[in-house]
Formats: sequence, structure tokens, C-alpha cells
Amino acid sequence: MITASLLHNALIVGAILFSLGLVGILTRRNLIVMFLCAELMLQGVSVTLVAWSRYHGDWGGQILVIFVLTVAACEAAVALVFILQAFSRTGRLDAVAWQALREDNLPRTVDRELPAGDTAPPSWPRLSPAGIRPDSDDNQALQRDHV
Amino acid sequence: MDQVSVAPAGMLLAGSVTALAAALWLLLPKALDTPGTRRLGALLGAIAILGFAATGRTLGCLGADAVFLVVAGVAVVSGLATIVTRSPVYAAIWFALTLAGVSGVLLVLGAQFLGVATIVVYAGAILVMFLFVLMLAQPSGMASYDRVSSEPLLAAVSGAVLLGLLTLSVGRLSASAPPACCAMPSRAQAAAEAVRPQTATPSQAAPQNQMTDADEVARLGAELFGRHLFAVEVAGLLLLVALVGAIAVVSRAEAADGDQGRSRR
Repeated sequence: MITASLLHNALIVGAILFSLGLVGILTRRNLIVMFLCAELMLQGVSVTLVAWSRYHGDWGGQILVIFVLTVAACEAAVALVFILQAFSRTGRLDAVAWQALREDNLPRTVDRELPAGDTAPPSWPRLSPAGIRPDSDDNQALQRDHV
Repeated sequence: MDQVSVAPAGMLLAGSVTALAAALWLLLPKALDTPGTRRLGALLGAIAILGFAATGRTLGCLGADAVFLVVAGVAVVSGLATIVTRSPVYAAIWFALTLAGVSGVLLVLGAQFLGVATIVVYAGAILVMFLFVLMLAQPSGMASYDRVSSEPLLAAVSGAVLLGLLTLSVGRLSASAPPACCAMPSRAQAAAEAVRPQTATPSQAAPQNQMTDADEVARLGAELFGRHLFAVEVAGLLLLVALVGAIAVVSRAEAADGDQGRSRR
């Protein structure tokens, strides 16, 4: 049993996590990051369910969260396989690359044009030009550490 | 007196929502980002989170539980960092920190098994799977789709408005059950206990919000494998189906483009 004030604070925390995950899944374009945001929404719902469950002294909420965990594991396994397949087809993790996915008789919708530089090497931060252009070494560029 | 107390809370909520929307818009990856906008966004995000924390204080009594404050702050801040980080690997690491915070929140709420299971199952298994896939599928360097997100303004505004509405409804909830301050249970809880004396018989004598109740996990297990046994069986079947399905998709796809080879970039 928890107090009403702890319940309300936990509900607000759950709402914040859910909203953040929603914003992320609406706006991010990397498929894996979108999936992480879905998991963030699930975390918010879990906090809410557990808070209500403890408040009412009922086990139902916690049982439901256990099944949410199980289904999230299954979902992650299957979805990551699909994401890997999508990546091996297009070479990108971009959700925009699949925006034309449709049935045969439906018109093609294009939300956002594919940026021109998508097949080009990674876009580094744009620096203001200063001095002479350094001669770039491809081997050295490959060794550069990045995440 | 009621209006006097309601009006500042409403203004605080509106200010927090506005600050959160602006912070999210500034922080989300855009084409015209500079370190200055991101710093401003981080500042506004901190203000917004403090605003929501203050909203919680007006609703209940937030200062009662310092541990809750710390773990909830960790969860919320790292959740925000998860969705605004450019690099997917860093996003996964921030999400691990979010899981740690959520697990702390669950422990404070008294759900010991779920707190530990969140760490073990999510951070131990699911997140590691994410990281494996990221290592397999990550093109070198920052891709353009990580640096430019789609419609950050609309998403930030809608998310902030949704959060404001949710917080408002929690406020309604606490207004209908007036927040008796921190230590004592509210009237709604007393009513719930009066309505349902048979469900929580052994724990009635126990102290409130205990984190050391030894029977907690045992009773959860009895409930799970007693009343919900069929659901457990179905969940096991679901896990098996997911396993077989994932392998089937991979093997069929590999057989399909085995001759034409991978077309990576």
C-alpha cells in the first residue's frame, strides 16, 4: 500500500515517460531509436500500472506488467529481425526509406523527399571554411573513431 | 481560497508545458543545430522538469520521499536524453539508465520483483539485443537520418500538450480525493481498504510502503501461478512462436537473396 501523494507522483512520472516516448517515436527516423522510444512508452505504462496496483492493494497491475515484459521481449526479437532485413535491403535504418510501402492500386504518398546525401559517406558536422583545404586520407578517415 | 490555490497551479502547468515543448524542439535533431541551441534546450528542459516536479508538489507532497525524487529524476532526465541523442548507441545507453531509474521507482513503490525483473529482462536481455543489432546494422559515422528528425516542432508540441493533459487529469484525481499530507493514507485508500478487506489480509498490519516485506514476491508468485496460470502458459507459447518466427524470417530471407547477394549501400 502506498500513499495517495506517492501514487500521484508516480502517475506523473509515468505520464512524462510515456509522452517522451511518444515524441520520440513520432519524430525520430532511425528504426532502432523508434523502437527504443516504444519501449520507453511501455516503461511509462508499467510505472502507472504498478502505482495503481500498489495503491489498491491488487495484484492485477503487477501481473499485467509481467506479461508486458514478456510480450516486449517477443516483440523485440521479431521486430529487430525485420529491422535487420530492412537494413540489408536498403542499407539504411531510415523509416523514410519505407514511406512508399503500399498496395498496388493505391497512390504513392511521399511525406519527405529522401535527402540526396543518403548514399554518400556519413555527414559530418558542417564547419565553417577556414584556411586551406586539407588533403583527406581515406584510410585515416576509416580509422577515425566514431560511434 | 480554492481559486487562489488553483490559479498558480494552472499557470505553473501551462509554463511547464510551454517550456517542455520549446526544450524538445530545441533538443531534437534538426538541420540547423548549433551547440548553443542544444544548451538552451537542455536548460529549458531542466526548467520544464522542475516545473512538473513542482506540479507534483502542489498535488501531493513530493518532499516526503527523497529516494523517489532521485530515481524519478534519473528516469525522466535519461528518458529525455534517449529521445534527443543523435547517436543510436548513446540512445541505447541512456535508455539503460532510464531502466535503472524506472526500476528504482518500482522499488520505491514496493514492487520488488518487477524492479529486479526490469533490470534483468530489459537491461540484461532486450537492451543487449538492441546493441547487437546496432553493431550489425550501424553504418559508419552519423547517418543523415540520425541528424535530421521529421517534424520536430509538431511532435514536441503534441507531446507536451498530451503531458499537460495527463498531469491535469492527475490533478483532477487528487482534487477529488483531497491530498491528505504525506504520512497518512487518503480517504480513497481507506475506502478501498474498507471495500476489499479480503484481498490484502496479511499486509494490513504491516507498515506502509514497506520495501522489506519478505512475503511480497511469494504472494505475487502465488497469484501469477494460481489465478493466471493459463495466461502464463499462453505467454510461454508466445515466446516459442516469436523464437520460431524470428528464425523463419531470417532463414527465408537469406534463401531468397542468397544468389543476388547483400546490397548494402
